[in-house]
Amino acid sequence: MSTEAEIDVRDGYAEKYGFHDTEQHVFKSRKGLDRDIVQQISKLKGEPEWMLEYRLKALDLFESKPMPTWGGDVAAIDFQDIYYYVKPTSEEAKSWEDVPEDMKRTFDKLGIPEAEQKFLAGVGAQYDSEVVYHKIKESLEKQGVIFLSMDQGLKDHPELVKQYFGTVIPSSDNKFAALNSAVWSGGSFIYVPKGVQVDVPLQAYFRINTKDMGQFERTLIIVDEDAYVHYVEGCTAPIHSSDSLHSAVVEIVVKKGGRCRYTTIQNWSNNVYNLVTKRAVAYANATMEWVDGNLGSKLTMKYPAIYMMEPGAHGEVLSIAFAGKGQHQDAGAKAVHCAPNTSSTIISKSISKDGGRAGYRGLVKVMKGAVDCRSTVNCDALILDEHSRSDTYPYMEIEEDKVTIGHEATVSKIGDEQLFYLMARGIPEDEAAAMIVSGFIEPIVKELPMEYAVEMNRLIQLQMEGSVG
Amino acid sequence: MSTTTTKSPAHAAGPWAEQAITRAGTTREGAWALTRRKAAAGTLSTLSLPKREDELWRRTDFGTLEQSLAGLDPFAQSPTARNVDDLPAAVLERIAGEAGNAALVVQRDAGVVLEQTHPTLQKQGVTVCSLDRATREHEALLAPRFGSLLHDDYDWYTAMGASVRQGGLFVHVPKGVKAEIPVRMFHWIDGAGRLVAPRTVVVVEDGAEATILEEMLSETVEGASLHAGGVEVFVGANAKLTYAQLQDWGRNVFHYGNVRAQVAQDGELQWMQVMVGGRMTKANGYFDLDGSGARAYVNGFMFGDARQHFHLHTLQRHLKPHCTSDLLIKCCLKDKARSVYQGLIQVAEGAQRTDAYQANRNLLLSDQARADSIPGLEILANDVRCTHGATLGYVEPEHLYYLMARGLPRVEAQRLIVEAFFEPVIERIPLATVRDRLRGEIERKIG
Repeated sequence: MSTEAEIDVRDGYAEKYGFHDTEQHVFKSRKGLDRDIVQQISKLKGEPEWMLEYRLKALDLFESKPMPTWGGDVAAIDFQDIYYYVKPTSEEAKSWEDVPEDMKRTFDKLGIPEAEQKFLAGVGAQYDSEVVYHKIKESLEKQGVIFLSMDQGLKDHPELVKQYFGTVIPSSDNKFAALNSAVWSGGSFIYVPKGVQVDVPLQAYFRINTKDMGQFERTLIIVDEDAYVHYVEGCTAPIHSSDSLHSAVVEIVVKKGGRCRYTTIQNWSNNVYNLVTKRAVAYANATMEWVDGNLGSKLTMKYPAIYMMEPGAHGEVLSIAFAGKGQHQDAGAKAVHCAPNTSSTIISKSISKDGGRAGYRGLVKVMKGAVDCRSTVNCDALILDEHSRSDTYPYMEIEEDKVTIGHEATVSKIGDEQLFYLMARGIPEDEAAAMIVSGFIEPIVKELPMEYAVEMNRLIQLQMEGSVG
Repeated sequence: MSTTTTKSPAHAAGPWAEQAITRAGTTREGAWALTRRKAAAGTLSTLSLPKREDELWRRTDFGTLEQSLAGLDPFAQSPTARNVDDLPAAVLERIAGEAGNAALVVQRDAGVVLEQTHPTLQKQGVTVCSLDRATREHEALLAPRFGSLLHDDYDWYTAMGASVRQGGLFVHVPKGVKAEIPVRMFHWIDGAGRLVAPRTVVVVEDGAEATILEEMLSETVEGASLHAGGVEVFVGANAKLTYAQLQDWGRNVFHYGNVRAQVAQDGELQWMQVMVGGRMTKANGYFDLDGSGARAYVNGFMFGDARQHFHLHTLQRHLKPHCTSDLLIKCCLKDKARSVYQGLIQVAEGAQRTDAYQANRNLLLSDQARADSIPGLEILANDVRCTHGATLGYVEPEHLYYLMARGLPRVEAQRLIVEAFFEPVIERIPLATVRDRLRGEIERKIG
């Protein structure tokens, strides 16, 4: 393990994920964004008229909305210097053999097919703007589980898509949701029928390859009554000299008694702006859980939300943010209690080092009439050196009196006693620090499927290498 | 950048500033202070009224006040009081026969009507007077400090207040002097349609000690008034200041208040912020820990009923290492009252060994009340211990039943619970008579 003081925190990323393939695509739109581009994307996809209208309306909204003035610095994003649509293959492969060789190599390197065989119920892989591979276990398909790319979902299940698309996150929600609504491509469409328990996770993998590219995937998950699904997404990108933009919209509907868990391990390279809107609505006695790990990107602004619409709904957000050199993780969560007897728990762990800035920005809102709600928010931050920064901005808006709301946050450094304890047992200082950080995020990591927990710990190790000079 | 149109209510302030400048010439204001006033008027002309998009104004709408802004009178004067007996009855009642035990400065509308120091303080070399007088008589002490913490360009209300400034308090405690008796300042507004903008400066030199109580009160009348005051406090090395600000305006008064405090090495500030009156209150308290070992203890409470609205914004700024700040804000709301607590701990780069705590506790007594709590941390140093907590709850049925099972009527039980909620803050307020009066006020409010 290296002991040099000045080591890029993302050391190791370059070899493991930072490679990029020679650009080989069947279509690439010109740079920039206007009505022509939006029309072109829609036409190439052969979309129904309503979707084109939806996109064009969203484009107007995008143009009329101001850039956010809070959170991270997004001023450097030049919307006219981005490729909004890059189609990598002519069609989605149904078997791994049909995936073009270079992309296959990419995903092979990232361990996708292996993971699928071992422990996944289904896999989707998106490369730039389109999903290049999609597969679901036959047994699930027979039970009526739908797991498709969003584009395929729109083709095969137009009525279902039309019924839910944009209902959880309207295109007017914020500037980046409007942008996604105008130029979205790829993402997952999932429907789990009543009572069906998908007991192994479905996974999607997102990869940006092209330089100056924007990825705008769109995911819609519908969990019907008493059904269960766990969806996992991972993201990487090559290291280019200029910045990329990733702006996804994820909408989730969890019906009565259903449960959905959505796990993200975001490991974009340090030149990606990751500006994502994620929101779920949970109905009576339904449970929505977001497990959100943010380790990569230049700037992440992401606040997974749960709207608890009916009595008994429960929401949980577990968030890890790790900011190294040049990174700003503006992570967080939103819990909106719209009905009585709903509960939410938010646990956030953020770590900053090498001048990085990590934080929690959140909202707990209790609407009028939502009596007997409970919400607990716990934010802990660890700052590993004197150049780094930690922020905590928890908002609480309470319009009802019969509720119990609590928020606690602490910010600290690695305790000297803890370090000495481990070092006295012969563990080198940097390993000891890494162990303490692993222990710090343990409550969240233990919620991940085993394979991901291992991956998460490995990523943390990577981030921690050379952290003690 | 001015976006003021001829229709904006902010327009009224231009002529006020001009008039204030003319008047200051006749009241023998110190020349330096008049220059500052002119500069503030200049700043004012470049600012517009706060907008809802401004994070600090998103949750508080002064719209009703702004509609009647043009009709306010910033120059209403009352005749000077010969002694305490000339003071409004309500103020007299608060002094409660203790006039001899404190230095007294009383402001009525736009002017200070009574400045009465105390022989003991005089002997100790402590200065207590109106700020107007201090601009003439204590330029050397006042000029470098006035406006050094609270800047005119903070917002429109601050610039406006600085340009029409009238009244306020000046206290100076020399090096090593422990002021033996407290200073009390009263603000009284006589009627509707008044605009009062006093500025207070308190200087506690190295190793000195002082206790100050500032109380604001008026009767509820028809028609809005605005109180837009500013307080700047300087606590020297090893000095100690206890300052309590109690706001109990009539229900027609809009209160906009700025507090800025600076604590030097090993100095200690005990700050109490109590808000129970007024129609709408917007208060900003910034506490700068500007020397190693400085400490600030900030305690406050708000109790709202009817349609009262309170908005308290605090900043604990740790600029140097080894400082401590501890903040506790309690808020109880009934009826349709609303509160916003917006607080931030900022730890500057290099401010190692910071120990900062921030707690906000909210108790809601009605389902029509609303409390927003926005605590925050911005930490740029790593060797720190910063914690904040916010809770919001209601009177727990178990607690009520426990008391009721012991024979207390429901109303009594609730009163006990609310009193117990506030008591830890009340305990810290100087002067037994003031504490008792506050307890009475709470009791009356619980109803």
